[in-house]
Amino acid sequence: MVYAPALPIETDRLRLRPFTRADVDAVFAYRRRDDVTEHLFDGPMSHETCTEVVQARIGQTALLAENDKLFLAVEAKRDHALIGEVSLILRDKGALQGEIGYIFHPDHHGEGFATEAAAQLLEMGFSGAGLHRIYARCAARNTASWRVMERLRMRREAHFREHAFVKGAWVEELVYAILETEWRQWPAR
Amino acid sequence: MQMSGLPLETERLRLRTFQSADLDAVMGYHALPEVQRYLDWKARDRTEVRAALDVMRAQTRLTRPGDVLALAVCRLNDDTLIGQVTLRWTDATAAQAELRFVFNPAFRRQGYAREAVRAMLDLGFDQLALHRIFARCDASNQPSARLLRVLGMRLEAHFREHALFQGEWDEELHFAVLDREWLRGSKVKELTRNMVA
Repeated sequence: MVYAPALPIETDRLRLRPFTRADVDAVFAYRRRDDVTEHLFDGPMSHETCTEVVQARIGQTALLAENDKLFLAVEAKRDHALIGEVSLILRDKGALQGEIGYIFHPDHHGEGFATEAAAQLLEMGFSGAGLHRIYARCAARNTASWRVMERLRMRREAHFREHAFVKGAWVEELVYAILETEWRQWPAR
Repeated sequence: MQMSGLPLETERLRLRTFQSADLDAVMGYHALPEVQRYLDWKARDRTEVRAALDVMRAQTRLTRPGDVLALAVCRLNDDTLIGQVTLRWTDATAAQAELRFVFNPAFRRQGYAREAVRAMLDLGFDQLALHRIFARCDASNQPSARLLRVLGMRLEAHFREHALFQGEWDEELHFAVLDREWLRGSKVKELTRNMVA
């Protein structure tokens, strides 16, 4: 399997495109915030780390081998501002399993942008990459994140309680998933 | 982690480390197709089972994450080896371990598995000071799922078609119990005895 989508990809209000070096400040604007990183395994990033992260993502736009990651910057079409990032990871080549992720600047929460971008990712994963099942994980306390998964009609498959100890606290993790057949049956699209 | 208190004894069973003399007994269940399906290693003939037994014989203590404690389950009355219970230390920081068990179908339906698994969970929480013990099981393996539920473990995950197993989609259940949720077998027994007396 080789999946290298033609970019950018546009949805109603968003443009999903590869990262560029010019994105560091826009990414740093949310990656430096405690309220963004409190639910992530990473802590708040320094500007230097953020530069390295963005640099690494510039070339991550195709899925060939297991655990390859596709990282896309999400721009609002209305003003071309970078408002967040999404990822699609190839987790199992044989069983065609993928994982999606999304992080958005808190200033742009509550507008349905994450749902719109993640729906596009699921479509890319199933129709483009030919995946069989796509899952997403989040901290149980991250209500905004799992609500996005529920809006996408993903099923809650797991609720792990205190299964890890990260940054000095017990972690509860949710796993949501959707099969290709379920995605096709969703009539609301 | 220090391993003291081995072998473990319950009302009807002794849980001890494996010995080379266990080959025939282990062969008696490892090589069965219905058991083989749930093992991570090939155990179709005597050579493969001996290799598996050699690995298990060395699994006598948990020194670092990734280590496995493998215990043979024997009946006290006739010393028959009827199955095995293992604990794999998966995470030191979060004090997590994975429980697995395999029993010879010839000795099923007598509550032996429940008695043995309960003793291993007691060991994990009381002696090894684990925080959480989890077990995975194939969604079609009803007896195992029932046992884990009866022991008070919580169904935390049902992964649908998350992997391929011998060309078919695999469904997996995860059960788990936290230290503070676990009702110690021995304490429960004492309490019951006192109440009866």
